[in-house]
This record gives sequence, C-alpha cells and structure tokens, in this order.
Amino acid sequence: MNGQATGLLAGPWTIETLARNGEVLHRHRVPALPIRFGRAYDNDFIVDDDYAAPHHACVEQGPSGTLLLRDLDTRNGIVHKGKRVKQLALDGDTVVRMGHTSLRIRAAGHPVAPELRDRTMHGWEGVLPGGAGIVLSVLVALLVAWLTDTSNDLERYAQYPAAAAGIGLVWSGLWAFGNRLFGRRARLGRHLFIFGCTLAALVGLRLLASVLAYAWSLEWLSAHASHAAVVTVALGIYFHLATVTPQLRRRLRAICAALAVLSSVLILAGNMQRHGRTADELYMPVLLPPELRASPDVPVADYIDAVGAMKKDIDAERRGGAAE
Amino acid sequence: MKRAVLGFLLTCTAVGAAFEAMAPPAAAQPPARNLAQPAARATQTTATGGAAAGAPRMPVDTAPAATPNAPLPGESEPQDALPEPSSAAQDLYDSARGDLLQIRMLLKNGRTQSTVGSGFLVGTSNLALTNYHVVSQMALDPGIYTAEYIDTDGNTGPVELMAVDVLHDLAVVRINRNGSGFFKVPEQAVKLRQGQRLYSLGNPLDLGFAISEGAYNGVLTRSFYDRLIFSGPINSGMSGGPSVTASGTVAGINVSRRRDGESVSFLVPVKHAQELLRKVAEQAAPPADFNPQIGRQLLAHQAGMVDKLLEEPLTLKGMGQYLVPVRESGEVRCWGRSNARGAAYSVDSMSCVMQSALFVSDTQQTGNVAMTHQYIRSGTMDPLRFATLASDSFQVDNLGSTGDPRLTKPFCTERFVHTRSLPMRAVTCVRAYRKFEGLYNFTLLTASTDASQSSLQSRLDVSGVSYENGMRVTRAYLGAFGRSGRR
Repeated sequence: MNGQATGLLAGPWTIETLARNGEVLHRHRVPALPIRFGRAYDNDFIVDDDYAAPHHACVEQGPSGTLLLRDLDTRNGIVHKGKRVKQLALDGDTVVRMGHTSLRIRAAGHPVAPELRDRTMHGWEGVLPGGAGIVLSVLVALLVAWLTDTSNDLERYAQYPAAAAGIGLVWSGLWAFGNRLFGRRARLGRHLFIFGCTLAALVGLRLLASVLAYAWSLEWLSAHASHAAVVTVALGIYFHLATVTPQLRRRLRAICAALAVLSSVLILAGNMQRHGRTADELYMPVLLPPELRASPDVPVADYIDAVGAMKKDIDAERRGGAAE
Repeated sequence: MKRAVLGFLLTCTAVGAAFEAMAPPAAAQPPARNLAQPAARATQTTATGGAAAGAPRMPVDTAPAATPNAPLPGESEPQDALPEPSSAAQDLYDSARGDLLQIRMLLKNGRTQSTVGSGFLVGTSNLALTNYHVVSQMALDPGIYTAEYIDTDGNTGPVELMAVDVLHDLAVVRINRNGSGFFKVPEQAVKLRQGQRLYSLGNPLDLGFAISEGAYNGVLTRSFYDRLIFSGPINSGMSGGPSVTASGTVAGINVSRRRDGESVSFLVPVKHAQELLRKVAEQAAPPADFNPQIGRQLLAHQAGMVDKLLEEPLTLKGMGQYLVPVRESGEVRCWGRSNARGAAYSVDSMSCVMQSALFVSDTQQTGNVAMTHQYIRSGTMDPLRFATLASDSFQVDNLGSTGDPRLTKPFCTERFVHTRSLPMRAVTCVRAYRKFEGLYNFTLLTASTDASQSSLQSRLDVSGVSYENGMRVTRAYLGAFGRSGRR
C-alpha cells in the first residue's frame, strides 16, 4: 500500500476524532504535512484535551513515504493498541490515543465502502404507520373484548382499547427513545406500527391455532401455542431492533433467534416441572361452534381403548416414582 | 446484546401486562370452578390432630382444633354445653375409667404428639379398640410415627398396632396391661331401640376423660358402610372411644360427627369390631407393613362400590335438549342449582356426590364418586362469543400436578367422541396411588359439541378404583349421554 500510489498518500489530510465504539465524533481537514498536534493555539490540529501537552505530537512524511507520528517528549505520550510508543508509522486505519483523545488520519484517496441500497420506505414514517399501529391495536383489543364479553357491559369496550393503546404508546415510546439515542431519529410511528402488528399476530395466531386444533383434532397444536407466541414476540423485537440499527440486521436476527429458542426451552422446562409434560395444558379446553368441526368423531369404544392404553405409562410412572 | 436482552425482557413484561389487562373481570367469569371439586364430605372424623389443624399442639386449654371450620361446641355456643350427668352416667364412668385410654400418635423424632384419640380395653384382654383414623399415621408411616397410651390414672405405655379395618374405620392395638373386664364386646349385634340412652366415653379435645350422654337414633343409610346415629356430643379426640349401654355393653365405637349439625354423631356398629378382633385372634403376628393390607381393603371397597354404582343402568335426566346420566340412591345424593347471569347466558348445574368417603390419611380420602353437570345456554350471544365462554368454563385446573407424594402426575386421553345421539369432547385423566398398587383416581370431563349456543359440560370423579373399574364407570357414564327431542 505504501509504495503503491502517491495518490493514496496525498493530501489534503483528514483527522478524525473517534468515540470509544469507533464512531467518528469530529472531522478536521489539514491541507499539508507536517501536521502538529497539541493544546496550544499554534498547532495545526488543536487537541481539546486536558491530558494532552501543548505540543504533543507531530506527523511527517516518513522515509518510505508513509506517514510517521512522533511523540514530542510529552508526559502522557502516544498510545497505540494499549502500548506507549515513541513514534509510529500510520496508515488510514491506525488509531492512536493522545491523553483521552483517539485519532485517525486519512488521506484524500482513502477508499470508502460503496453506498448501501436504501430499502427504507421513507413514505412509511411518522403519523401514517403510527396511526395504523394504534388503529390495529385498538381493533385487536375490541375483538378480544367482544370475544370475552359474557355480561354485555359496555365499559369493557372502552377499557380494552384504552389499555391496548396506552401500552402500545408506552412500549413504542421506550423504543423510540432508544432509537433517538442510538439512531439519531425517534421513528415513533414505525415502532407503533410494529407493536400493532405484533399484537394482531399474537391474537390471530392464538385464534388460528384454536380453530385448526378444533377442526382437525390437532390437540398438540393448541397445547404448544405458546411457542408461536414466543416466535411472534421475538420477530416483533427483531423489527424494533432493526428499526433502531438497520446496519446490524444479520447480528440482530441471530440474537432474536437465540432468545426465542431460549424462551421456548424455558417454557418447555417450566411445563415439565409443573405438569410433567412439555405441553402448556393437560388437555385442550377449546370448544367452538359445531360448524368448525372437520374431522370425524370416534366411537366411545375407541375412546375407552385409548384410556386403557394409558395404564402402561401410568404404572411405569408409579414404579419410577417408587424407585426414587 | 445487552440491549437486545433488555428489550426482550421488556417485551415479555409488556405482553404479559397486555394479556393481564385483557383478562375478563372476575365477576363476569362463568362459574366454571363449580365443576372443580366434588363437594367435601360433611362428616368429620374425630381424632384431634395438630397436624390436621396445621399448627403444633400446645398442652394448654386453647383447644387444638381438628375442626378448623367449625366452632368448638361449648366454646362459642354455651347452650351446647354438656348437660349435668345423670347418676347413671356417674356410676358408669366410675366403673369404666380403669379401661379407658387416650391414644397418642407421636413423632419418633422428639416424641411430640401429632394426633390424639381414644380407645378402650376389650374385656380382660390386653387388646384395645380404636379408630383406624386415630392410628392411621402409624399404619402408613411406621418409620416416622409411633404411639403411646395414657389411662385415666396418668400411666403411659407403648402401643402396638395389631390390625386395621379402613372400610369401617377400626383398629386393634395391644398394650402392656389387661382390662378389668368392664367393656363387654358382645358376640352378636346389640339390639338397640330408637331413643335408647347411650353413653359415649373418651377424651374430648385432649382436655381430660369425659362421658357424654345421648340417644341411639337408628342406622345411617347414606353411608356405604352402616353407621349408628348417636344424638349426643362427640368431639374431636373422642374418636375410638366406646359408646355403651347403661349395662356397659359396647354398642358402637365413636367415629365422626356432622359439622353442620347439632350433636349428630356417628358410631361404628360393634359387630365390625367383633369381626376385626376375631381376625386378630387368628393371625400369628401383626404384619410388619400395613400398607399392602390397607391397599387390599381399599381394592375390596372399590369393587363393592363400583358394582353397587353400576348394578342398574344410570338414571337419565333431562337438561335442556340433553339427557345426562346420574345415579341417585341412598349413598349418592344430588343437588341442583340454577344461575342466570344477567341477560347474556344462564347456567343450570346438578351435582351428585357419594355421601361417604374412606379416610386413608389426613390428606387423603378415597373411595368416592362425584358427578357434576353444567348446562350453559344463551339465546343472544354470538356463536364465537359463546364458544369463548364455553371454552373458559371447560378449563379445569385442579387435575393435579407433579411432585404429589400420594399420587402420580395425571395422564390424560382426549378425543372427540360420539355417543348414541350426541357428539362430545371427552377428556379422561388418571392418576395412580403411589402407596397402594392397583388403585387409581379417574376424572372424566365432557362437553357437548353439537350446538353453538348451548353447552353441556360434565365432570365425573371416581377416586380409589382399580383401572378396570375406572374404565367401566367411564364407559357407562360416557355412553349414557344423549340428546332428547325437545329443545
């Protein structure tokens, strides 16, 4: 890289002040070498740091054409990768620390990554998705209020939507706060929309599982519905996180998948401890209108045979318990 | 990563909160829990037990309550106080006191008493009669419990368990001295006339030996095993004590009383004691472990119980458009209730419970049958909304869990079945007794699946039966459901 092209090493030079996580806090352009660093006002780059010397360091053209950073006999010196150095050859990715300030110097020809494909729907921000999210949560809450209404009182039709909208606002508000902190913009509307969709998916999947299980006698489906809820919540969180930091999508996907697996395992373990089985419930309590039944019913004799078949397992369990 | 974990936790909390908020108000819930448990039996055995009351016993005059739900007679109700004993009672007590015993269950560690009851020496032998429920801890867990007796003079000595009869709630123990011959256990059943005076002896509430006077009032027919009705006060701690005629002939052994009654007490007829004494005379030595013997007795009980339950076809009763099976007989009583919840829906329920259960230990009663029917209907509710209501009502939580030392975890079979004329959803959950081989608890839950605005939900509990008999009852009960023509 050194001898490759003088163009790469030509000025003007850009000095970047970095945060601890590598983010650029500040950029300063210097037209030519040498560049003097320090707290004094006669420097080319003023290091605003109490732990830096008035004349701290200096960058010159090195013998082989590279940049060479030299410590000007200061008390705190220059630190590179945790070690104090007297002088150091720099390329565009060398980060050095003077006092509490981390710096990097890049030439004008330093290569940058190509532009990212912009997948953000810029029209789908703000009031539009926010309103949609609130409307969705309110509708879901109304549906639940209606389904579980056994006393014809009208109050619940105000309470449920209010609760859903309130929780949605608090939840999305927290995400928006995080978004503002780490992604510069709040994007409250987006977060509200994600909340609404997650809520709708949770309720929708629960109903779907019940209907499918009832129609085709798939009791296991209803008994393991909590895992669908875990996946839904994990997806919701992934979309929240991806809204905050879209560039980390791949890593977020892995994190959310891992958390979903962990939660499912915890649910299975909890069920095992409580009922001695992995299912959420001992039996499926779902009862739906007869029009929704699709599978044929079994005769009583078959049922009694199935009950009889359990004896082996129960006796094994009893013996196992006695052996303990 | 930390952020993500935190976010996930927050979501979980929020979603949890959301669901909490969406749970319907408790007042609006259907009375599903009525199906939950067969009614508790109303009679109460009369061993005074600290363990049963859940608190250590204190030897002071605050009476240890084995009767946590009922006020102790004489304490809160002064009119219940014993009447002045007649001179006959005074004479009787004077001659009987030498053969009267208090029997205490002791924890082997520390020798502190866990329950106390009464007993009496039979004739001139060294055998004493008491209730099984007085010595049940010693019979079930001989490694943890032991027993001693105290007589009216304050002498104590060890107690050796000879035989138990769980079905009639009797036990025979041996002590280290002989009786004076006052308590005569007759060979034949004693002929008693209704209203005849009986004297009941024992040590009520661990307060001291006492005699109470009452009248014989016939034989209880509601129980599976015959009991004599004694209209006189029997308190906790008098269990196992004798009830004698004026001449000192033992008519029965104090066993229990009605918690909701006034001086309505029960005695075990003396003929069962005689049978047990005969068995003791035949056996060479008492068994080292009583559990198999108790298990055999429970098996014998369930065989008789189920045969009697199914000796004729179950009665069909109409509930709305449904026909539901019930068994109403001397032993099984049915109660009905209607519950209209506003205009939205109404619930009619009927429950039939066998009036007796076998006492195995403080925490376990068995040999019982209970059936409950619940008919929910609505004219105005949308089918989907009604379905939510019916599902909520069909959810029963108290079918047991793992970690129960008495029973295994429940194993369930669930199917959509069709009986003669009714499609139903049926769930059978079975649990096995850990201590007694071959005994199981069966629970059958059913719900009709033929209509969108009415639901018949039933529960059958049969406890302490063999697997065969459990299936027999399940088959008979399930097969009997049907639909009547009328709506």
